[in-house]
Formats: sequence, structure tokens, C-alpha cells
Amino acid sequence: MVRLSRRNFMKSLFLLGFAGIGGGVRRQVIRPPGATRDFLARCIRCGRCGEACPYDSIRFFDIAAGALFATPYIDPLQTPCYLCLKRTGEGKDEPLGEYLLCGEACPTGALMRIRNTRETLLSMPDELKMGVSVLNRDICLAWQYDSCGECYYNCPLRDDAMLDYPPSEVIEGAVGIRPYVNEKHCVGCGMCNYVCPVNEKIASATLEPGRKLTYFEERYAAMVRNVIGRAGPGVELPAVRVVKRL
Amino acid sequence: MKAEHARRIFQLLVLGVLIAVPMYSQNPIEWAPSRIAMGELPTPRVSRVWGDTWSFSFYGVSITHPLAALEAVLASRVLYLPLILSALLPLLVTLLMGRVFCSWLCPAGFLLELTQRLRGRLWMRRRLVLIAGDHRYQLLVFSLLLTLLFATPVVSAFDLPHVVGRELFYLLTYGTLSTGGLLLLAGVLTVDTLAARRVWCRSLCPAGGFLSALGAKRLLRIGKKVERCIFCGECNRVCPYGLRPVELGIDKDYNDKDCDNCGLCRDACPSGALYYRIRR
Repeated sequence: MVRLSRRNFMKSLFLLGFAGIGGGVRRQVIRPPGATRDFLARCIRCGRCGEACPYDSIRFFDIAAGALFATPYIDPLQTPCYLCLKRTGEGKDEPLGEYLLCGEACPTGALMRIRNTRETLLSMPDELKMGVSVLNRDICLAWQYDSCGECYYNCPLRDDAMLDYPPSEVIEGAVGIRPYVNEKHCVGCGMCNYVCPVNEKIASATLEPGRKLTYFEERYAAMVRNVIGRAGPGVELPAVRVVKRL
Repeated sequence: MKAEHARRIFQLLVLGVLIAVPMYSQNPIEWAPSRIAMGELPTPRVSRVWGDTWSFSFYGVSITHPLAALEAVLASRVLYLPLILSALLPLLVTLLMGRVFCSWLCPAGFLLELTQRLRGRLWMRRRLVLIAGDHRYQLLVFSLLLTLLFATPVVSAFDLPHVVGRELFYLLTYGTLSTGGLLLLAGVLTVDTLAARRVWCRSLCPAGGFLSALGAKRLLRIGKKVERCIFCGECNRVCPYGLRPVELGIDKDYNDKDCDNCGLCRDACPSGALYYRIRR
């Protein structure tokens, strides 16, 4: 049986009640990195994390979210967490500060300070991570058509959090990347979620002929329509999504 | 120098910081996944100055509103040392000088003063009724009880100066305003302009109530040279909190705990009887 203290019970009632008024939060969003278990108790809604965020990834809930009003979130489909790295595109990412900047900016310790080195990020305790990525191989272009690998190439913790599938299990004669999430090291930054071409925008753009697509979107559009069609209705769209750790 | 002019300098400075900080830290371009795929990478913008009047940080030196710190402590029941330390400076200032935050720094108070000036232009000298009594302490206690019960800060979401700073930040960084903050601001400004002078500051603001209570034994006060006073009552008329400085030094039980040392009465006094003094 799940034991629920009175305080937690009241808290959940309060949150549910308020979320009910506004209809709650529709999309899967995540907390910034280093959010502690008692995040909502510690967060004083000052907005300093959002100002510190070098990519403006952190956004804030509106009143519709009820008790979560003015607390920070990251919507990986809008802007993912870049883990305070200056991306260079050649795998030589440089940290922008000694710590992840949102944690450094937080005055109350609601977001913990996390040293911005690859080692620290890889050994982060589970409760401080933003979430974990889940890859749906049925609609993944890389797994179905050998023709993607964006998530693998863009992962800030490439070859640790996002791996090419273990060579021994690679299908005979196959080429290309077969992305695979290592749940132990994935911090849930949402970069893979963000760059995945199997998304709503591309899928719905193929249905409206008037819409102009970029080169890459056009290239992917037909394949995206194809994999989604094969997977059937009701499938959650980016092929790789960040979900909260439970 | 008129106290009002000095105050305007501080208030404009705060407003300038509230606009400059998000303007500097925001990223100019919205990035699309395909652009990253094609090798175009976004440019990060790192600044070391964060926050607004609720909590502010300048290159690692952090200042937090004492009520924000109290709420975080009550809700989480954890004493986080950096938070406590960052609340010490404003706490000390309030203990010594009263709630000078409200009159000298608060951006919401600044806006409300401007609306009063606007009102003065529109309805020349028609006096407003001082409706509503002082409910700040009830609201404060109620909010703190909610904070304790539901383990989440409450005033932090609705503190008016913080809402002003936050909306400016949202507007300049994301190009949107939050519905909650906008409704609150519009409501307060409308009521203030049309119905009751400084009603938020006088009878609703829980943070102001908290600072009032802290500053009850302050050293910096408005004093009066009784022999100079001509009892014109000009000071009573300008006081935004409905206090009666004309009774200073005459009525022994005169209670000025709501005074925020704004100095309007001092500026208005035609005979120069009112002045800032340090209580010994």
C-alpha cells in the first residue's frame, strides 16, 4: 500500500484542484536540471533561472497551471535544454560556466548547483535529472529506413547517453546509425526530442500542400508519412520523447 | 533636495534594471531543428545579473526579499544558508529604516504613483475616498498559512512589484505576457485610477504588511518641529496611506506604523516643520 502523509495528501488535492480549473498542462514538459523532490516548496517564482538560461529554454507556467503558476519548465519541442554548452558542431562543446547556470542562479536551492562537466552530468543522481528519453523504434527513421541519426549526432552526451546500437546486434549488412538510449546516463535534456524529424510539424505539413518546407523537412516528409502510416493511429509523435522519471 | 526627486531617481533606476536585465539576457533568434541539422548553431547569451525586486543577483551577490525567504523556509522546512544570508541585507535595512522598499524602490508603487499623477490631471483635485481598511496583515497571515499547509509559496506568485518585473521579463524575453500577472496588474491599476487611491499598497499588499511589521521599531522616522507647524493640514492631504502627520508631537498615541518614509508630507509642508530624523 502506498503511504501518503497528510501533508502530501493535501498537497496533491491542492495541485489536482488547481490543475483541474485550468485544464492542467497539455504537453509533456520537464523541469530544469537539478530540480529537487521538494521543488515546488522551495521555488519562490523569482524567474532568475529563466534569465540565466543562455538559450532561453526555460519558460514559465501561466495561471492556467494553477499552483504551478510562474514556476519554470522546459518544453523540449520549443527549445530543449542545451546543458549550458556552446555547441560547435564538431563534438567539441564548451561549457558556458562552471555550473549549469539555472542552478547557479536559483536563490533557494530548488534547482541544485550542478558542475558543468561531462563526468558530473553522467553521474547525476536520478532525482535531479530532467527526465529520460524513450525511443519508439516503430516510427524511427533510423531504425526503419537507415536514414537518420539526428538524435545521436545532436545529443550533448553523445556515446554515453545516446549510443549507436551495440555492433554485435546490428543487422547483417545494415548501414547507418541505430540510436539507442542509455537510461543510466540520459539526463533528459530533450535535444533528441527537439531534433527528431518524425514530428507533428512535418507530419501535418505533408498534408497541407501550400506549406513551404525546408530541404531537410522535404526530404524527411515522405518517409515520415510512411512510418507514421505503418505504425497506425494514436502513436505519440516524435519518435524519441522525453518522459519524466518515476 | 525634495525627497520625491531622490525617490524618482531610485525608482527609475530599478525600472531601468528590470528592463535592461532581460533585454541583455534574451536570445534574439528562435531556432528550428532543421537549422541545427544543417550546421547552423544558436549563439548562447550568458549574463551574470539576474532577477527583480523579489530576488536579485549581481555577479554572485544575491539579495532576496525577506518574505520570499520566509515562504521558502516555511514551505520546504529547510534552512538553506545562502537563501538566509541573501535576505539579511534587506532585513537589516527594513529594521533600521522601515519599509523604504515600498516608497523608494517598488516598481508597482512607482506605477501607482504615476497613475495618481495622471488622475490628478484628469479629475483636477477631486479627492478619492479611502475605501477599505487595512487587510494586509490578515492577507499575510492567510498566505503564510496556505504556504505552510500546501507546502508551496503563495505571495511569491502574486507580489505586485515582482509581477511587474516578471511581466517585463516575459515580454522582453519570450515576447508574451502571462495572463495571471496581466489580469492582476490591470485590475489593480484600474481600481487605483478610478476608485481608491493606493488601495493595493494601503490595504492589500501582504509583502508590504510584512515589511511594515518588520519596520515597526525603525530608527529613521518623520519628525516634526512643533513650534514651526502652522496646522495647515497639507501633510494629511498628501499622505498616500491616510496618516495624519499634523498630529505628530501633539497626540501622544499617534500611530505611524504604516509610514514608509516616502517624504511626501515633508515635501508638502509649507513651513518646513517636517523632517527626517533618527530616533535615539
